[in-house]
Amino acid sequence: MVRKVVYSIFLAIIVLALAMFFAAYPFGKNKMTVGEYYLNHGVAQTGAANIVTSVVLDYRGFDTLGEVSVLFAAAAGVAILFFLAGGTKREQEDLTKPNFVVRVGSRIIFPFILLFGSYIFIHGHLTPGGGFQGGSIIASGFLLLYLSYPGTRTNRDGLSIIEGLAGLTFVVLGLIGLFLPQYSFLYNFLPKGTLNTIVSAGILPIIYIAIGFKVASEFAGIVDDMMCQVICRGGGK
Amino acid sequence: MEKVGKLNKYVFTVVVMFISWVMLTSTFRPDELITGFIVSLLVALGSFEYLTEHGLGHFSPKRIAYLMLYGPYYLWQILLANFDVAYRVISPSMPIKPGFVAIKTNLKTDSGKLALANSITMTPGTLTIDAKDDVLLIHWIYVKDKTLEGATKEIGGPFEKYLKEIFG
Repeated sequence: MVRKVVYSIFLAIIVLALAMFFAAYPFGKNKMTVGEYYLNHGVAQTGAANIVTSVVLDYRGFDTLGEVSVLFAAAAGVAILFFLAGGTKREQEDLTKPNFVVRVGSRIIFPFILLFGSYIFIHGHLTPGGGFQGGSIIASGFLLLYLSYPGTRTNRDGLSIIEGLAGLTFVVLGLIGLFLPQYSFLYNFLPKGTLNTIVSAGILPIIYIAIGFKVASEFAGIVDDMMCQVICRGGGK
Repeated sequence: MEKVGKLNKYVFTVVVMFISWVMLTSTFRPDELITGFIVSLLVALGSFEYLTEHGLGHFSPKRIAYLMLYGPYYLWQILLANFDVAYRVISPSMPIKPGFVAIKTNLKTDSGKLALANSITMTPGTLTIDAKDDVLLIHWIYVKDKTLEGATKEIGGPFEKYLKEIFG
């Protein structure tokens, strides 16, 4: 009985809160004023044909820096976890040798995956997709190589250097904005260029290329960590 | 099969990547072409060991001519196989005799064997399961001939003479 009374009170509170929330917005009126602002001014202010990119990299560029950091933390977490877990004693022979079609096919398709990923992140400010998507595609190419040739190892130092340089590019581009008269982090200081060409939207394509490299190297690093857990720890690295 | 140098493979990969870039962007604007060229140079740097065994040899007129011929020929083969399988599907007596056969291939390169394996898989009624050295394991909807020679002639024969010229 008491329980039912408590339930009813909570239900009443929820209904009241929802009613108050909806009462604040007159029926039929557009509630997305910020979104409308982006749609109306995004192209003119950022020079990016892809409106999503103008939001993600320009209006909300700082958030994206945060997302990149989250990804970095995740990759570092995977590496630490596997490092602490130590080696499972498994030899390379335990891995199933992949089918001939898979092996040769992935070898031939690998360059095309790299090219397509690069295409996605270079055109991030023009067409759907961007640094995160393109980077993931490139990393999936590496995953394919790892799966079809279980002995593959990536040069980890090289990956770390690429990742570091890409992150540095992002932050330095942002910091330059602080020394300009406009005084704002990630200020788009380069000329906007002609809409719908590669050299447009100022610093946005540079940032997306940096993100592409960063995401690709981070994901490739995660894949390498996981494969290493199976392969190289057996030999006692 | 003659060995080709690294530079040869690299140039070949750059050319193929650049053509793919132009197809992706579907434009000849100079900014896209320049970007595409730089990207091709970089992508090829990391992957030229994977793509090819022949390098620029792939561009020899004979190979391209056979490749052009192989397209329509292959479509014709698929059409024939489609009617064959459709007949087996709709006829009430269900004339199927599925089973595995092994076929032998004369193709020397991995890419050639892959092309043969995929051509067989794409053709209705036959399916490549695995390949080891020069023997392909095929699942066949109607096993006409169990012997290695007979099956090779039936399944691989139509494709092999073209693929031999294209991939060597």
